[in-house]
Amino acid sequence: MFDHIECFYRPSTLREALVLLHKTGKRGAIVAGATDIVTRADRTPRFFIDVTHLGLDYVRKKGRGCTIGAATTMMGLEKSPIINRLAGGILAKAAATCGSIQNRNMATVGGNLANASPAADTAPVLLALDAQLVAVNSRRKRRIPLDEFYTGPHRTVLNGELIEEILIPPLPGGRSGWSFQKLGRTETDISLVNAAAGLQADSRGRIKWVHIALGAVGPMPLRAREAENLLQGNALSEDSITRAGGAVMNQVSPISDGRASAEYRREMSRILVQRALRECAVQAGFPIMN
Amino acid sequence: MLVTVNINGEAKRLNIAPGELLLDALRSAGYFGVKRGCETGECGACTVLVNEKPVNSCLMFAAQAEDADILTIEGVAPDGKLDPIQTAFLDHGAVQCGYCTPGMILSAKALLAGRPDPTEGEVREALAGNFCRCTGYLKPVEAVLAAAQVYRQAGQSARRKSGRSLGTSRKKR
Ligand SMILES: Cc1cc2nc3c(=O)[nH]c(=O)nc-3n(C[C@H](O)[C@H](O)[C@H](O)COP(=O)(O)OP(=O)(O)OC[C@H]3O[C@@H](n4cnc5c(N)ncnc54)[C@H](O)[C@@H]3O)c2cc1C
Ligand code: FES
Ligand code: FES
Repeated sequence: MFDHIECFYRPSTLREALVLLHKTGKRGAIVAGATDIVTRADRTPRFFIDVTHLGLDYVRKKGRGCTIGAATTMMGLEKSPIINRLAGGILAKAAATCGSIQNRNMATVGGNLANASPAADTAPVLLALDAQLVAVNSRRKRRIPLDEFYTGPHRTVLNGELIEEILIPPLPGGRSGWSFQKLGRTETDISLVNAAAGLQADSRGRIKWVHIALGAVGPMPLRAREAENLLQGNALSEDSITRAGGAVMNQVSPISDGRASAEYRREMSRILVQRALRECAVQAGFPIMN
Repeated sequence: MLVTVNINGEAKRLNIAPGELLLDALRSAGYFGVKRGCETGECGACTVLVNEKPVNSCLMFAAQAEDADILTIEGVAPDGKLDPIQTAFLDHGAVQCGYCTPGMILSAKALLAGRPDPTEGEVREALAGNFCRCTGYLKPVEAVLAAAQVYRQAGQSARRKSGRSLGTSRKKR
């Protein structure tokens, strides 16, 4: 299937990898866990550059946030005590749904983001957590907010760059709640719709901070900003949850495919966001008014 | 290109194409217990343990296995003496056509190495990536639970057993 590959490079330093990436240009492709590369079988690359030996497999706590090496596997996230404690463990939960154990032992978080599937399960979580990507090439290093990373299905702003790490900024503490929701044929199948949410309440029971993100309901994972704006500053009520769900349905632009119809995805985007908000409220000990 | 890998405790040099998948490289080297199923990471028939972790060899490049310890079903009973998991699969009628069996046994082996006393739910999760077209899921689950008990009674963990069968390669990566 990959007879056209001329060389498989396994650099052991980031520098070496960046030089190779520069030299091979458009004919070179980054390989991490290979779980998407092999199944997509794109025949354009002539050279593969393996990024799993660059020391990019780590999770480090940074105040109330953390940094994650791009080559950290889904299993690595699931098992990381830091990731399990961060934001109610929603990133660990999302990682644990990325296919079978066999798949999760190989699949990396960098690959999940760079592959830019609209259904990638870590994407809505990292969007809700305001993650930034550190992208490097042989000349420069820059930070890209995940929210500005995607340009379409399987398209990103990366330009001959490698994702080195993912930064999660300090997150609201106090009375906060978090949720990851996934709808798939089975628990570990590709998502039909997925969603993540986090919220923080002030001392008077009003929403001080709220982030909602969804996947598989448009060309790329997205932040549900209209719903967030509706909720921000108000108490959580049955009515505001209903209106937030309505705003999400208006914002999404799902497609029909072999897995689900657009109508179903649109309806489920509302349901998942409402479920997520309720779960957040319970965690935050935040009453839902009638 | 040449890759050096440790397969079932033996150092091997495999001559591979740069884009060759581990599944193809292992089968070409004679490890036919590594089964070719879906080739898209869904079925688990091609499961091998790489540094003690189950992976689908159809989704891994052979070049990525450089210096790794690989365990295939052929290495599970190197001297012809069956592993308790294998015996339990036979005793419980967990093998029908047998196509999924090598992958199931390797997934089970990895589970028991880390969790000598797994719950039924943990066994099911460990085998969730191994599809059986003969649809025998109940019996493999029973077999793995029984094998866990055999290991515990014998006071050995699956890890120590596999450590021995891997012979020279004790190095942890
Ligand atoms: C059976 C099966 C089930 C799956 N189930 C799920 C699921 O439930 N949820 C889900 O989200 N995904 C799922 N996936 C998809 C896949 O496993 C994930 O997207 C995985 O995280 C991809 O990571 P990888 O390391 O394998 O990427 P690779 O295949 O190695 O790479 C994917 C893409 O990312 C690029 N890339 C990789 N690393 C970097 C980097 N550091 N910098 C820049 N570019 C990079 C590569 O060039 C390539 O374009 C499934 C896949 C299979 C085969
Ligand atoms: S052949 Fe590898 S998972 Fe099916
Ligand atoms: S025994 Fe036939 S596929 Fe499982």
